[in-house]
Amino acid sequence: MIKVVNFANIKKLVFFTIIVFLLGCAPGASLTYYHDPSMDFAAIRSVAVMPFENLTREPNAGERVRDVFANSLLSTGAVYVIPLGEVSRGIARAGMLNPAVPSMEEIGKFVGIIRVDAIITGTVTEYGEVRSGATSANVISMNVQMIEVQALRIVWTASATKGGISIWDRLFGAGGEPMNDVTMKAVTDVLDKLFI
Amino acid sequence: MFSISFSFKPVSIFVTFFICLSGCSLTNNQAISAADDDPPVVEKKMLTAVLPLNNLSGTPVPLEDIRQRLISSFKKQGLNILAEDVLETFSVKHRIRYVGGIDEITARDLRYETGADAVLITSLELYSDIPPPKIALTCRLVSTGNNPRILWMDGVGLAGDDSVGILQLSLIEDPRELLEKAVQQLSTSLGEYLEGKGHSMDSQRDLIKFWPKAFYRSPILEPDWTFTVAVVPFLNLSERRFAGEIIALNFVEQMMTQKKFSVIEPGIVRQVLLQMRIVMDDGISLADVHDLFSKLNADLILAGIIFDYQDYQGISGKAKVDFSAHALERQIREVVWNCQSYNEGDYGVFFFDWGQVKTAHRMASEMVASALETLAE
Repeated sequence: MIKVVNFANIKKLVFFTIIVFLLGCAPGASLTYYHDPSMDFAAIRSVAVMPFENLTREPNAGERVRDVFANSLLSTGAVYVIPLGEVSRGIARAGMLNPAVPSMEEIGKFVGIIRVDAIITGTVTEYGEVRSGATSANVISMNVQMIEVQALRIVWTASATKGGISIWDRLFGAGGEPMNDVTMKAVTDVLDKLFI
Repeated sequence: MFSISFSFKPVSIFVTFFICLSGCSLTNNQAISAADDDPPVVEKKMLTAVLPLNNLSGTPVPLEDIRQRLISSFKKQGLNILAEDVLETFSVKHRIRYVGGIDEITARDLRYETGADAVLITSLELYSDIPPPKIALTCRLVSTGNNPRILWMDGVGLAGDDSVGILQLSLIEDPRELLEKAVQQLSTSLGEYLEGKGHSMDSQRDLIKFWPKAFYRSPILEPDWTFTVAVVPFLNLSERRFAGEIIALNFVEQMMTQKKFSVIEPGIVRQVLLQMRIVMDDGISLADVHDLFSKLNADLILAGIIFDYQDYQGISGKAKVDFSAHALERQIREVVWNCQSYNEGDYGVFFFDWGQVKTAHRMASEMVASALETLAE
């Protein structure tokens, strides 16, 4: 019996295989979060954004991302963000050894000096240019958490990764988006998960 | 042999205490305001002292040459410039080292000892003679007397290849030619102000292109308010020296173009910061704000962080500016406005560098003007 090969099906198969490969090359953009269902977030009126821990090679990455985050959070108009200079004063007076990862005792002391409803800590795990062959693009990876100071418990965490090398960058060598744009997108994504 | 009499000991202790307390006191306990007196009569005949240039470029620059060009250009505009030897004598007598601003006491002494009606303060932000050359200058005219205030302020940021024209016929390769152009623009602007034409506004502003990426304006700020603002130097996290002072000057300059703002002379703010021994290592704290409001009769204190203030030399590169700013209000002692802004010189440029901004000064001016629109609106 002669089996007739259906060329139309082969074309479809090749087409879908290419699509799957192309999607595999898409830039990384992921977001995970936790939202305490028992927490009344409307009760949080003021927050202090602590210095972000910088695990990257960029010297000021933590400060840059923290500043964008604090400004974007204040820009939402939902909460009041304590000026970063005032936060620094509280950190110094509370004698925090590592303000990026404060202990519960340190948070207690800090809140005694700077009256806030919650503090936000964060970590920048990736910030800057990534390379793959001759192509490069900017990428950011960050995570933040909110600690409610009355009960000293984590009520919200979120992490985001933005940027990376896209198919467009690979084909045309566009170099990716500017670092600030990538940072703003990641921060916006993270904040979107706070106000769901 | 010398001996201490015990009867004099209480007196000596009292005198020592008195001297210590006097040392802690401030020379002028009145709150400083930008709007206490009527503005001085502004005219071309007013005697003006031209201070030596404040070099914020971080590089060696022919400062005296630039100053002499400024003086001769201002003289051509009809300004009455204070004689060099008189200014020199005054500077030596009062040990004036800081030329980036003027405080109240110096302004008062300058008026009563030299007769100068105003002082011209010039800051050089950028000077590069590598072709194509680049220059950025900021000038302000401050009245002397008991209540010094900024009368006029303008800045210019030029690159030799700003507009090269067909076959590069308009390319400027000589730094002296570019300097002359910059000086001419500043003196023309000052001349127009002294003729009563007011502050020159750049009508070609692209507010949308340089609009802040994020901003917040508190609802407590009424739209019809006018603000007296004290601008403190920004926290500098960039690689550029003096970027904190430069961006603060940009804010002062742009506020002067809007009637909503009355800006306290930066030299006065600096003097208060020194007197109160305020060091802002990590930005301004509420304790600093409290101290500043007690000495400056301001409605808002404007501070911020500068992350990038980048110029480039030669033909390859791009200007880059990245800052955030916030304003604290006097009554509630809270942040009532903030903004986040960043841009690169080639943003929105697709063909033949058309529309590219070549100096950080020009880009920062546009960005700050856009940012202030969100505060003033």
